[in-house]
Amino acid sequence: MGRYILRRSLLGVATLLLVMFVLHLLTTFAIQINGNPALAFFGERVPTAAQLAAVETRFGLDDPCYDQTGNPCLGPFVERLGAYAQGDFGTNLRGREVTDIVATAAPNTLKLFLVVTIVWFLLGMGLGTVAARWRGRSADHGIRLTSVLIDAFPIFVLLLVYRYVFAVPLNAWATETFGADSLPALWFRPSFDDDHSWATLLVPGILLGLAGSAAFIRLVRASQLESYAGDHVRTARSRGLHERHVVLHHVMRNSAVPVVTAVGLTFTEALAGAVITEGMMNIYGMGGVLWEAVRGTDVALVLGVVTILAAVTVAVMLVVDIAYAALDPRIRYA
Amino acid sequence: MGRRAALAAAATAVTLVLASCSGGGGGDDEGGDGADGGGGSDADATLRLALAQDVETLLPMDSNVGDNISVLDVVYDGLVRYDPETTEPYNYVAESIESDDNTVWTIKLKHDLTFQNGEPVDAEAFARAWNYAAYGPNAMANNYFFERIAGYDEMQGETDDDGNVTEEPAADTLSGLEVVDPQTLEVTLNGPFAGFATMLGYTGFYPVAQACLDDVEACAVKPIGNGPFQVEQWDQGVSLTATRWEDYSLEETPTYGTIEWTEYAGTENWPDFQAGNLDFAVPPPAELATAQNDPDLQERFVEGPGAALTYLAFPLYEDGPWTDIEFRKAISLAIDRQGIIDALLPGERVPADSWVVPDGVPGGEAGTCQWCEFDPAAAKAALEKAGGWPDGEKMTIHLGQDETEQALFKAIGDSIQENLGIPYELDPTPDYFDRRSARDFSGPFRANWFPDYPLNENYLAPVYASGDAKNGNTEFGYYSEDFEAAIAAGDEAATLEEAVTHYQEAEAVLAEDFPTVPVVFSVNSYYYSENVSNVVLDPFSGEPKLRLLEVTNGM
Repeated sequence: MGRYILRRSLLGVATLLLVMFVLHLLTTFAIQINGNPALAFFGERVPTAAQLAAVETRFGLDDPCYDQTGNPCLGPFVERLGAYAQGDFGTNLRGREVTDIVATAAPNTLKLFLVVTIVWFLLGMGLGTVAARWRGRSADHGIRLTSVLIDAFPIFVLLLVYRYVFAVPLNAWATETFGADSLPALWFRPSFDDDHSWATLLVPGILLGLAGSAAFIRLVRASQLESYAGDHVRTARSRGLHERHVVLHHVMRNSAVPVVTAVGLTFTEALAGAVITEGMMNIYGMGGVLWEAVRGTDVALVLGVVTILAAVTVAVMLVVDIAYAALDPRIRYA
Repeated sequence: MGRRAALAAAATAVTLVLASCSGGGGGDDEGGDGADGGGGSDADATLRLALAQDVETLLPMDSNVGDNISVLDVVYDGLVRYDPETTEPYNYVAESIESDDNTVWTIKLKHDLTFQNGEPVDAEAFARAWNYAAYGPNAMANNYFFERIAGYDEMQGETDDDGNVTEEPAADTLSGLEVVDPQTLEVTLNGPFAGFATMLGYTGFYPVAQACLDDVEACAVKPIGNGPFQVEQWDQGVSLTATRWEDYSLEETPTYGTIEWTEYAGTENWPDFQAGNLDFAVPPPAELATAQNDPDLQERFVEGPGAALTYLAFPLYEDGPWTDIEFRKAISLAIDRQGIIDALLPGERVPADSWVVPDGVPGGEAGTCQWCEFDPAAAKAALEKAGGWPDGEKMTIHLGQDETEQALFKAIGDSIQENLGIPYELDPTPDYFDRRSARDFSGPFRANWFPDYPLNENYLAPVYASGDAKNGNTEFGYYSEDFEAAIAAGDEAATLEEAVTHYQEAEAVLAEDFPTVPVVFSVNSYYYSENVSNVVLDPFSGEPKLRLLEVTNGM
């Protein structure tokens, strides 16, 4: 077990370094090809060489390698790694601490993800189980059709329709019925409100969860159908166990394993959805921060945020791997 | 100034971005409108505005985008403020600003003014802010505003051709700034400039407290102002709250108690306005028609001319048909400005027929461009006179990457192609600014100008004057002796009115030489909630004037 954890950890660190290096190369080339973000600081104005040099220094982009297309800029990368090792994640272009930005943004994204995950589980396990239990019946057909319909509505369509068609009248109705500071009025607020983060994150989270739930419904259904056909279920039934007991303890529990794995894998997809959701609902979260950082070629911020995200992902994967191995004895620490 | 930086960086619907940043950029009317106090506000009322999320600093020396300018306009007081009708400056923190030769300026300050931390607002407070901004290595966004003050060059480092710093600046204070006594600041410029007092209301010229320079990082997040509001709390990226400063001693202060800015990543704040969470907003294009057909909303609509000019420039430094004025005339006459606006951006732009925004700044006049109307027949005739367009070649129109502008310039290209038969292609380039300063354009290109201070001179000299008879200005290689002479005459004029007249002569030279083609001016508009009244848009910044607003708490 110890060696297994060690090996996985080393692999995790190697992955992290690779991710950071690739990102560093991408952002460096972006600067070399698209022009230094220091120039954007001046807008329409043509800066003098001295003014440009001063802003490049301020932005930490004064290393001459940023002007040489194709130069991988290893010097600044090694410097950055050294700073990271000491817990210094640097600042964004205008001098705000990356850790400060992440500390403000991450909780909102985590809350959003929590709502999304709960929605996934409820919809996936609920509808998937029903569809598998009554396979081929109208419930099954209905649920499969619903999952196709969900796929047909990407998250930005859902949010756009919600914000511009439903949110305002719902909010007005809730305000009139329950008062401006009531919970229902906050639920239907068209944008995120930092003072009421849970209440205003609920609907966007449910919508984002809904948009991603189709795959889960189908996955649960497929994996439970497999379980129904399994030897252990036949054995359980032959022992005369009640059908409900069979479904709950032998079908659903077993089908949960691939679903847990899928949640981990879909995490990245959810981040992509979070960029859209956060952008449209004006949630100050990791997705939005990253999006703006990439647009502004803010190297330090992109690298800092992604490194922190990647570190968390690698750590989560590691925990999942270990838990997985612990849960399922067939998986060996070999 | 930085609103241009915002235009460049945001690369999305320009007016919407700007419009989403509520706030007053200029100043207030001294007497008119019964504005001071008004009595229409609740003292505990809260004004709720939107702010763009990319506001990174509230340091006056470093604030140059519409949003932090709006915030600082109520947090700081400048030497002068601007009349909301005419945009002409009047003294505010300054008792008087005088000069005999337009080169040495004596600024007298009002007595007994303090910062919100109790420090005096004296000549030293201005000198320390200006020196900090002018010192090159500090890399302040408003650094270049101090170019005119003597000693600026000594405060900039030297660089080699690769942009590496080879020499540190020789001085760290402006030799042209002298604190004569606590109430008197003497400023010596590099040369005469009649518009100097006009510049002084700009954010970059605000004073700062010593405590601010002692901890610049803290001051950038929680400014120590001398204006009617103080910043209470700024959760960067989320929200900003300012409350009324009770010890404010000057007259221009609103009577409502709090301003809350919510930061928005994009321009998506219209539903929040509809839900009653914001007091000012602009609908997105898709909601425009609905808003325009809502009689209730129409009563709470305010519109005013914007100051930004979008124009078409030519690489006059390069051989091509465009070196012939007849060709440039042909292009201009072939653009159906009104038709394009009506089809693409109804109500969001107005056709431009001058190089200076009419009415927006002193000296601005409509109709100075005689070839800015749509006249396909005259266009064809002019093209013929110019010798036509080379057969089989495509005209490339260069511009930055911006969806709205690309659509606009595609329509302009179509208009030219349809009326002159010149085939064209758009070249939206991510490194527009790089290529423009490297003179890397092989065809006409889009350009945009937002003035730094409200004076017609600012539309002219910074763009067209270079003093380089051989190469012309960097951007498009224009030079005119008459133009430079008219600008110089204006700079030396005894009064601002005379100066403005000389600058108008300079614009007339442009109208003759026709180096660039004015295309459209921006338009500012807002819808506002039932909680606010006395809404006046600043003709220069296009933002609601926060000090004139009256706010009541929602029903």
